[in-house]
Amino acid sequence: MTSAQTERTRLLTVMFLLAALHFYVRPRFGNSQVAPDFLLIALLVYGIRSRPGAAAVAGFLIGIIGDALTPARFGAGALANTMIGYMASWGRAVFFADNLLVNAGLFAGGLWLRNLIILLASNTGAGDFWPELMIWSPIQALSSAVTGLAVLLLFRRWLDLRIDT
Amino acid sequence: MSAESDRSLSRRDNARFFLCLLLSVAFLLGPHHWGEVTGDVIRRSVLVPFLYLQERAEDARTSRAVRERLTSERDSAAYSAQLLPAVRLENERLRRLLSLGQRLGTHYVPAEVLHQSMPTDGRTLLLSQGSKAGIQPFDAVVSPEGLIGVIRTVSPDGSVAMTWAHPEFRASAFAASGSVFGIVAPAPQADGDDMLLQLRGVAYRDTIPVGAPVLTSGLGGVYPQGIPVGTIIGLIREEAGWQRAYLLKPAANPSIVSHVLVITTPHDSSVSSAYRGDSLP
Repeated sequence: MTSAQTERTRLLTVMFLLAALHFYVRPRFGNSQVAPDFLLIALLVYGIRSRPGAAAVAGFLIGIIGDALTPARFGAGALANTMIGYMASWGRAVFFADNLLVNAGLFAGGLWLRNLIILLASNTGAGDFWPELMIWSPIQALSSAVTGLAVLLLFRRWLDLRIDT
Repeated sequence: MSAESDRSLSRRDNARFFLCLLLSVAFLLGPHHWGEVTGDVIRRSVLVPFLYLQERAEDARTSRAVRERLTSERDSAAYSAQLLPAVRLENERLRRLLSLGQRLGTHYVPAEVLHQSMPTDGRTLLLSQGSKAGIQPFDAVVSPEGLIGVIRTVSPDGSVAMTWAHPEFRASAFAASGSVFGIVAPAPQADGDDMLLQLRGVAYRDTIPVGAPVLTSGLGGVYPQGIPVGTIIGLIREEAGWQRAYLLKPAANPSIVSHVLVITTPHDSSVSSAYRGDSLP
């Protein structure tokens, strides 16, 4: 197996692991509004290792899956995740994020921004919009950032990432 | 050569990005059935193993599994486990659901709610039972507290319920204190409070006192008669000589409910007796 194939296999393994965690571990956190979003973490991890086009396609696919599970406004999740995937990939290229805190900021900011786009695209009323954006999304962003960092630290060799601890 | 190759890659990235954006916007602005059909296909194919995983996780988390384990443990262990507040709360909810199931005169299907991480979770709910269990579109979804919503799409092993928090939700209802009828719809809140409902289209000659419970009327043939929808908490507006609209505190909260009952056909029956007494707000 060539080095590129090994890398791809490792990346796919991490993605499938995160997808399994999203459906098997996240429900055990109880409140789904604060539990980490493993699919978004998978998207951001993929985004920072890939070209923006591939990250946008991955974001679109993950968003469509999210929309299929929460079809309140189909397309809102796809739109949000496409933009997040694309921006994460560009952000990585621009900021050269080897720093742990910058990566934490990427996970937290990515989740908050994704939720903002979804809330805007799904015409959420003010009664739901502000509590969701100012209370629940920051908590979920924090839990996702902590989980995302744990994933990066655990799999940094597999993902071939250089993280300054 | 390298710069040209970079430019070509960059163009391809942008093309992919804009294509994905275009598809997303098409889903967002296109007809509803595009999304419903696509979502249904995804739930029935790619997501089957993942939803199976989530069902197992929910089973393990909720007290259904805890209760099964408790029955096989010694009394002392069961006693101490029941002291845990979360388990007690969950047990209490399941007992009430069980009790409601026994009181319901119509056919019903119990289902688990598979909550998702998207911020719009609560407007629609993914349920663990589908057409194999007898669920059909437009079946009413209830909890021990009252109305949750209505089934929107069904697949063999799952279904999607539109809750009362969805902007398109409507239900015919009446105030239990009299014969005042109206249409219940979500009430947009500007002050960041909890999501509320409104009872609109109430004839101007009729008034409803604060605190009066509002129940489904059974008109329209979707919701059986007598499911608690909420309690009147005030008057929103009145259009002189025409109609009044009242603000309702919802009876049930879709965001936190873990198990529901789906009332299957016939839709024109009454479930008033099931909600009499302690369940009524």
